Amino acid sequence: MSESPPERTDEERGVVVPMRVYKTVTVFSTLFAVFGVVGGFILIDVATNRATADLADVNPIVALLGVGLIVLSAAVYAFSTRFQAAEMGNANNNENEESNNG
Amino acid sequence: MSLERKDEHDHRGWMQERDLSPIEQGYLMALIWLDKRFRIVDYLELLETMYYRVNLQMPKSHTEQYNLDNKFWYWYPLYSLGAFSTIAYIVAALTGAILGFYYAPSTADGMEETIAYDDVVFIMQDLNFGYFLRSLHRWSAQIMTAAVFLHMLRVYFTGAYKEPREVNWLLGIVLISLTMVFGYTGYLLPWSQLSYWAGQIGVEMALSIPFVGEWVAQLVFGGFSLDASTLQRMYILHVFILPFVVTALIALHIGIVWMQGIAEPH
Repeated sequence: MSESPPERTDEERGVVVPMRVYKTVTVFSTLFAVFGVVGGFILIDVATNRATADLADVNPIVALLGVGLIVLSAAVYAFSTRFQAAEMGNANNNENEESNNG
Repeated sequence: MSLERKDEHDHRGWMQERDLSPIEQGYLMALIWLDKRFRIVDYLELLETMYYRVNLQMPKSHTEQYNLDNKFWYWYPLYSLGAFSTIAYIVAALTGAILGFYYAPSTADGMEETIAYDDVVFIMQDLNFGYFLRSLHRWSAQIMTAAVFLHMLRVYFTGAYKEPREVNWLLGIVLISLTMVFGYTGYLLPWSQLSYWAGQIGVEMALSIPFVGEWVAQLVFGGFSLDASTLQRMYILHVFILPFVVTALIALHIGIVWMQGIAEPH
């Protein structure tokens, strides 16, 4: 890589990575998010006996673990959106996508 | 298209040129580590290549040839409604076959109400996964009716009924009617209050037909008032006659689409 790649623009926190790495990020972060969220809900179900347990019988550690897993997965997924392939632009900022009449 | 290992990317090299925070760098390194061990991306790229290779074998469609995708893309989801109703029909057939193990179309006294009604209560309350099973059957029936209707609208508004597809349009009208007969006969089977009075409406509608009304009521409902023979006939229509007729007509309907090709919007 001789020419210097476009640096991140500060307000967007976008990071340009090679296409192959971008694919890696997309595939694995989606997998994390899916399994994390589903696993988190499973943990909450286990802790609350499928939401049927009395408040006293709820296992707080497992329940919080479940909530934490969901939050963590969402955070990882959101964090992953900053990585972009070259010339992608920022998905959160569509200035480069002009509208037309179809 | 091979699973040979690609040239290793000089990850440390390009990472040095970006100003990555430690978290970003660590995250990327972790994912790259995983990627080298679980080569999911490689397999997905294989699938991608295969997808495009297969597509290159296909003749260009009208929309591709004249580059009309930007005009017509919003129609495309509606082209799935025919397949969607077929899937709903298959789900209803499978769940209905299992429901049939636990149901008898009898108006004789059961433990609480009639045997037919008691059977439905048993399925809903005591049978393992019975509630789920009947819900699947009911929802797939509802979805099939809705999808078939929307499918008809799509065919109408894209002009897909025009020459040379008139026969299939008429066949579709027969099929949508039979779908509703399917729904109606199934609606009567629980022999609940709703079923019973829907049946009463059906008898009176049949009787209102000029000249042949009494004959139709006798044939379809087994008389002028609702009794055991009504439920028996609804049952036989629902689980014996209609399945054969509708399955055959759906096969014909899809077969004609296959032969004539999908009508594209113009």
